[in-house]
Amino acid sequence: MTDDAVVEVPGGDTTEAASAAVADVERRATGALEWFASQGVFVFTALLVVLAAIFVDGFASLVNITDVFNRAAPIGIVAVGMTFVVISGNYLDLSVVAQVATAAVVFIAVSNASSIPVAMAVALLISLLFGLVNGAAVGVFKANAVIVTLSTTFIGLGLLRWLTGGSIYFGPQDGPIRAFGLAKLGPFPLSMLVLILVTLVLSWVLNRTNFGFMVKSFGSNRAATRLAGVNTAWVVIGAFTLSAIGAMIGGFVLAAFSNTAVSAMSTGFDFRALAAIIVGGTSVFGGRGSILRTLLGVVFVSVLTNIMVLSGLGFGLQQMAIGALIVAAVSVDALARKAAA
Amino acid sequence: MSTPASTVDARSSLVDRLRTTLARRTEGRALALLALVSIVTVFTEPIVFTSYPVTLGRIALVGLVALGLTAVILMGELDLAIASTLAVAGVVMASFDNLAVGILVALIVGLVVGAVNAFFVVIVGINSFIATLGMLFFLRGVAFVLSGEEPVRLANRDAGIAFGRPLLGDLTPRMLIFILVFIALHVFVTRVKAGREFYAVGGNREAAYDAGIPVKRRVFTGFMISGFVAALAGVINTLERTAADPTAGSTVLLASFAAAIIGGVLLNGGRGSVFGTLLGAASLGILQVALTLSGVQVDVQNIVIGGVLLLAVITDPNSLRVVVGNLKAFLRDRSGAQPEG
Repeated sequence: MTDDAVVEVPGGDTTEAASAAVADVERRATGALEWFASQGVFVFTALLVVLAAIFVDGFASLVNITDVFNRAAPIGIVAVGMTFVVISGNYLDLSVVAQVATAAVVFIAVSNASSIPVAMAVALLISLLFGLVNGAAVGVFKANAVIVTLSTTFIGLGLLRWLTGGSIYFGPQDGPIRAFGLAKLGPFPLSMLVLILVTLVLSWVLNRTNFGFMVKSFGSNRAATRLAGVNTAWVVIGAFTLSAIGAMIGGFVLAAFSNTAVSAMSTGFDFRALAAIIVGGTSVFGGRGSILRTLLGVVFVSVLTNIMVLSGLGFGLQQMAIGALIVAAVSVDALARKAAA
Repeated sequence: MSTPASTVDARSSLVDRLRTTLARRTEGRALALLALVSIVTVFTEPIVFTSYPVTLGRIALVGLVALGLTAVILMGELDLAIASTLAVAGVVMASFDNLAVGILVALIVGLVVGAVNAFFVVIVGINSFIATLGMLFFLRGVAFVLSGEEPVRLANRDAGIAFGRPLLGDLTPRMLIFILVFIALHVFVTRVKAGREFYAVGGNREAAYDAGIPVKRRVFTGFMISGFVAALAGVINTLERTAADPTAGSTVLLASFAAAIIGGVLLNGGRGSVFGTLLGAASLGILQVALTLSGVQVDVQNIVIGGVLLLAVITDPNSLRVVVGNLKAFLRDRSGAQPEG
């Protein structure tokens, strides 16, 4: 509600002076901005890949491409799940950091102690619990999603570190988890296929099911959705649960890739996933977005990170770049909305 | 919004006046938590109160950033960038050989960061959650780059050691600064016209525009207060530890939001008080010291504080009535017919 007010008012004084005579020019400028906000990622991703292939040494090698895919897959799976939360207008799910680490640790530790199906079942229960707690706090109690997921991050990570004592878990060297982590189809690691599968399923959920329509509808107009007879609490709980399941699968893939799991392994997943979602053109104002474009955003963010690593840029500069990317992408979206209003 | 109501009430009976005063107060939960924590602590860990300088120091540590944050939340905005602002200010300060120049530049950095946040929120029109989240990542990167990813030693270590000593009775400079900031902010939002208008901006932004309040300037002021206070906290931390840690401030985010929200500052803006934040910070500070003295691990402390924050954000007094209604509707819909599909 408050952001509407901010967007609405400044529009008056800037456009009024300019528009009167040259309405046509203004419309074209608006169109360009809107196009930029929604379609820009296609151009930028293509441009980035081409430039990287030409100018960055070692980018276009098979080893490096496989490495990019390996690193992109867990973040991508987290991002496509979290896209539901963003589209539902609840900004983001910060607690994916805790969820990914928990799923990875449970996956390795429990399958060492018992078996892989049991480990997956335990991880699924935990992720459903995360989804339910986040979703109920936001959907039923109408609490702020950022604060809720900030607190569940600390609760989740605290529990994980307390119970594991911060220790590292290793999978067996000849186990199926290791085999999965190493398996490849050409340059594509199997984890990439998991990402594509999850993307297709979630894309189908968003575009072809009633639940998907409800999430979009709730994101663009909460009151109207409620008046239409939708039980909005379940929509929010559902969105957070899909995000939690995405984070769980991301955790599995991450654990399989390195065959180890530790509570600190998912640092930065929250903002990399968010950057991918926003760069992909999903609006943080809710209601608009697509899973497939998030996948493109993941490619963009992963290639960008890879280029920075190859160019020898430190962690600090990488973080600055991703932070600036988030602010810039959201600014373009906000300005496009303002110009369209 | 509440001013005309209170003048009418002034003429009615004392009971009515008391009732409306109580209904207007937002510190209830903070008082309850403070009482609960204090009573339990008196019996289990009385040393928390006998060695009160330690406890006061912890309250000042938890509370200072929360005080600045309160100014922003009163207007219905959030400032997540405070954690990184604190780190950047510390690193900037430590990288100057001259102490006074370092402190001055660090504080200016805080003001500039606040102004940049406000620019994105007010001028560009991005939601403050996302704008300051982007800044949180960006500034964390800046802190890493400036410090070369490792702690920066303070050139003037004697000043740092002197800073940790009691200055006035048992009070160290940190506590005195905390008390001064509290008084300054309390007077600003209750007695100064510009500060009182923060409530109007947070309560109903459009009405505030119509009433001729310079809303944009107020939001700028709020973010600059929050940035300045966060930088001040960074300076104090650096002085006390005689080194600036670029990773500082990750738990500050949780603790300061917890203090403000427990203190009854409504996240949607318009309601709350600086005094409430003080109470919230006091209860969290006592809780932390008591837990530390009982030998509880940091991980478990994070779980407790995360849990308190989660409870506080879902039991927001203003929306509690709505919540009860929602809960009823939620349970009714669950047993009744689901929306189709």
